[in-house]
Amino acid sequence: MGVIMLLSFLRGFCKKIDFIAMLAGYAASYMMPVLALIVASEVFSRYFLNKPTVWAFDLSLFLFGYIAILGGAYAHQKRAHIVVDILYVRVSPRTKRIFNLISYSLGIFFLVLIVYICQEKLVDAFKFGTRRQSEWAPYMHHFWIMTIVGSTLFIAQLVRDMIVDIFYLCTGTDLLKKGEL
Amino acid sequence: AAAEHNWRFGNLYGRGTAFGALYEDLGKNIDEMSDGKIKVQVLFAGEGVGTSGMLSACKSGLLTMVAPFQSMHAGELPAGIVEIGLPGGTSDTDELYSLFHDKGWGPILDTAYGEHGLVRLEPYIQPPVYILTKKKINSVEDFKGLKIRAPGAYGKFLRKLGASPVSLAWSEIYTSLATGVIDGAIGSNMIDHRDGNHVEVATYMYPLPLAGAQVLPILVNQKAWNKLSDDLKAVVMKATVMHAKAQLEMSRKWESEAVTEMESKGLLWSPEPSDADKAAWTAAGESLWGEYANEDKYSKQLIEVMKKNKK
Amino acid sequence: MGIEALTGVLLLCICIFFALGAPVALALGGIAMGIGYLTWGDAVFNIIPTTIESTYFSFILLAIPLYIYMGQFFTKSGIGDAMFDTSQLLIGKIRGSLAVSVIIVCSMIGAMVGIIGAGIMTSGSIALKPMLDRGYDKNLAMGVIMAGGGLGILIPPSIPMIMFAASTHNSIGRMFIGAMMPALVTVVLMILYVVISCRISPQKAPFTAADTINQKKPFVEKLSIARDGFLAMMLIVAVLGSIVSGIATPTESGAIGVVGAVVLSILFKRFKVKMFLEVGLQTALLVSVAMWIIFGASVFSNFHLLMGVQSMVSDFAVNLDLPPIMIIMMFQVIMLLLGFVIDEFIIVLMCAPLFTPIAVSFGYDPIWFGVLMILNILIAVQTPPYGFALFYLKGIAPVGIGMGDIYKSVIPFVMINFTVLVLCMIFPQIVLWLPTLILG
Ligand code: NA
Ligand code: NA
Repeated sequence: MGVIMLLSFLRGFCKKIDFIAMLAGYAASYMMPVLALIVASEVFSRYFLNKPTVWAFDLSLFLFGYIAILGGAYAHQKRAHIVVDILYVRVSPRTKRIFNLISYSLGIFFLVLIVYICQEKLVDAFKFGTRRQSEWAPYMHHFWIMTIVGSTLFIAQLVRDMIVDIFYLCTGTDLLKKGEL
Repeated sequence: AAAEHNWRFGNLYGRGTAFGALYEDLGKNIDEMSDGKIKVQVLFAGEGVGTSGMLSACKSGLLTMVAPFQSMHAGELPAGIVEIGLPGGTSDTDELYSLFHDKGWGPILDTAYGEHGLVRLEPYIQPPVYILTKKKINSVEDFKGLKIRAPGAYGKFLRKLGASPVSLAWSEIYTSLATGVIDGAIGSNMIDHRDGNHVEVATYMYPLPLAGAQVLPILVNQKAWNKLSDDLKAVVMKATVMHAKAQLEMSRKWESEAVTEMESKGLLWSPEPSDADKAAWTAAGESLWGEYANEDKYSKQLIEVMKKNKK
Repeated sequence: MGIEALTGVLLLCICIFFALGAPVALALGGIAMGIGYLTWGDAVFNIIPTTIESTYFSFILLAIPLYIYMGQFFTKSGIGDAMFDTSQLLIGKIRGSLAVSVIIVCSMIGAMVGIIGAGIMTSGSIALKPMLDRGYDKNLAMGVIMAGGGLGILIPPSIPMIMFAASTHNSIGRMFIGAMMPALVTVVLMILYVVISCRISPQKAPFTAADTINQKKPFVEKLSIARDGFLAMMLIVAVLGSIVSGIATPTESGAIGVVGAVVLSILFKRFKVKMFLEVGLQTALLVSVAMWIIFGASVFSNFHLLMGVQSMVSDFAVNLDLPPIMIIMMFQVIMLLLGFVIDEFIIVLMCAPLFTPIAVSFGYDPIWFGVLMILNILIAVQTPPYGFALFYLKGIAPVGIGMGDIYKSVIPFVMINFTVLVLCMIFPQIVLWLPTLILG
């Protein structure tokens, strides 16, 4: 009984994380047209109306960061992140899982540091009301919140993969069915 | 023997540049004057910390000492914009010196930087900001409608004169002047214009600077500072006083060399502004003071001192 | 630990984690922070936020999302196909003709963008699929993309050239013009290579029905293909035109390309909401991949720089006791080696102010030296294990193409770049002739 419950809990957990990371990836993708439109409209208002805006510069940079960071977890889910897979493709499925456990641990270490240090930046940003140095001077705090969220999602996605890998190493079977990754 | 204190000192100039050498000297002087007790590793532009990361790197102790450019940190420490010199401010170096040392700017800034865990050492003066344009500016009226690359406070100033400030990355200025995306650009000083080769693609320098002179700080991480004995603190302070003196002497010389070099490449000056133009210029600068005073309590204190001494 | 030993340890860790198949972005960041903690302490973690700010608030890098977006619209809306169909109408009878068209299109993209990432990811989005669809050898196809996309920094405008000129007080205009001939030689050599190697091994570029089908069509259909292709080319010309005429900066011009591509796909009646969303998602993924890797790599190189790798290079360079031309050659070797661990911008930032005065003191022309540096960087970013161009190409490559394939695919094209580098070293006139002619 307990084993089955644990299994279904793990399966549910993995699927939930996949779903949330996917949502973040889609959210990032909806920002793409907005980003292009903002840059294009800045060109339009500068060249044709002779009225450059004060906000397009910072807003486009913020969106750029949002897209890049929020998409990180989903890109991993899709195995889109770049790996040097020269040795990796030549080893057995078991060895691959062991390799994953080592490299994902290093990845999580780095991402945890990002979350930890960006939380300090967030506290600092609230304390001093930190803004961008431009004329428009928008607040910075939301950017750190987004970085924390994006990195946390990335950690969750790696943890999920490690659970799947450990399960495989212990039982020799996949935790999730084909098509569920 | 190993040093007691290992410091990293970041500045914004490239390795091998004239200004870079001044910061290198400051590092060497601290090294020598402390009998090797403080070892300073000088980091130049792009060497580990970006232009806009200087202040936070020093706050966090990633860098022990920095020579930042306040405009890059306007969003973190607004008073720095007033410290560097608002448009309409004085160019008289003696007056500036006394503003910091006798009239009360020093303590106000000590508190402002202190809040961020930073210690201010002797500030130094660099030459002012000028505007380079593609077309000749015959009167202040000609700025109307011009698209000029000018960040932050300088952008606001130019807007008062009817120009349209544009935000661009520094490395985009050249191409943008060449193709006509912008009609002009400010540089952090004449040397910056020379280094960016902007005169190849824009000919006219406007004779009035945006602010009289720029005062820049040398900052040290509070925790690292507190670890020093009083003797060593005095040594570091003295080295920065020497540095400020060298900056004042050398930067004037280099500024005039940069101007001569640009003139040999075709730089022309827009005609000498009329008295009315000068008045409009100053008025535009002073009209900003109120705006800045309202934004931040330390800016307000600094501007009050400045107004009191204006008469 | 001295900087030499530290550099060795860092390189060793890179090799280990790369071999384990770790995501490059996380491996580079993790290694730097791990080794940093052991050698420096927890202050090193503060590299992360300053690097986040300098990476994501770089307006120059904004070209990457905008140009990838434009490239994705080209490929998914059929605008890219229209362009290549037309070129096949003209030169389809030549074996390898599609690759030749791709090189020419890539040169035009190179003329628009100023950084390597935007060049390769745009060229890859537009041109990789048509070549693979027609059964081209994947190594040839990817090599062409890599080499073509890399032209972004060799054909003006070029951000690394602006950085070189600014940090060494040289004329940017002169440098832009000086790089023209080497760029042209590179393009010609690349086309020659494609044509000759396809003649020798025809299986690399098989003739398929697609190559000639259009030529057999009735005149009216040919005309309609040509019209679509013409419109597609006009879009590229319009984007280039927006830069030249001062409407947009090279960074912003990507957004003009996006708007133009949407308008064209509506004209071609290929605009569908599904396509629009797919393009957005694919772009967001690629942007995320590119930016995470730039961020991780920047954390790594910032750590390495704060530990003083630049002093190691400068001590070594200054203490070289060799004849002048040997020193120039040593500089090239140092930069190639640096390419193993750091990216294009940092190489320029570090080496330009360090090496150029020495070269000039030997009586060499700084513009010539600068163009050599750009050519060298072009090679450095394409050489394993750590080469940004390789990573960008991997990001854009279809599933099933491994890093090993990519390493193999670039060999002939790196040889071409190397040949041009050597040619320019032996015959400085290749660089200096045009600027002297135009600027005196
Ligand atoms: Na280019
Ligand atoms: Na490399």
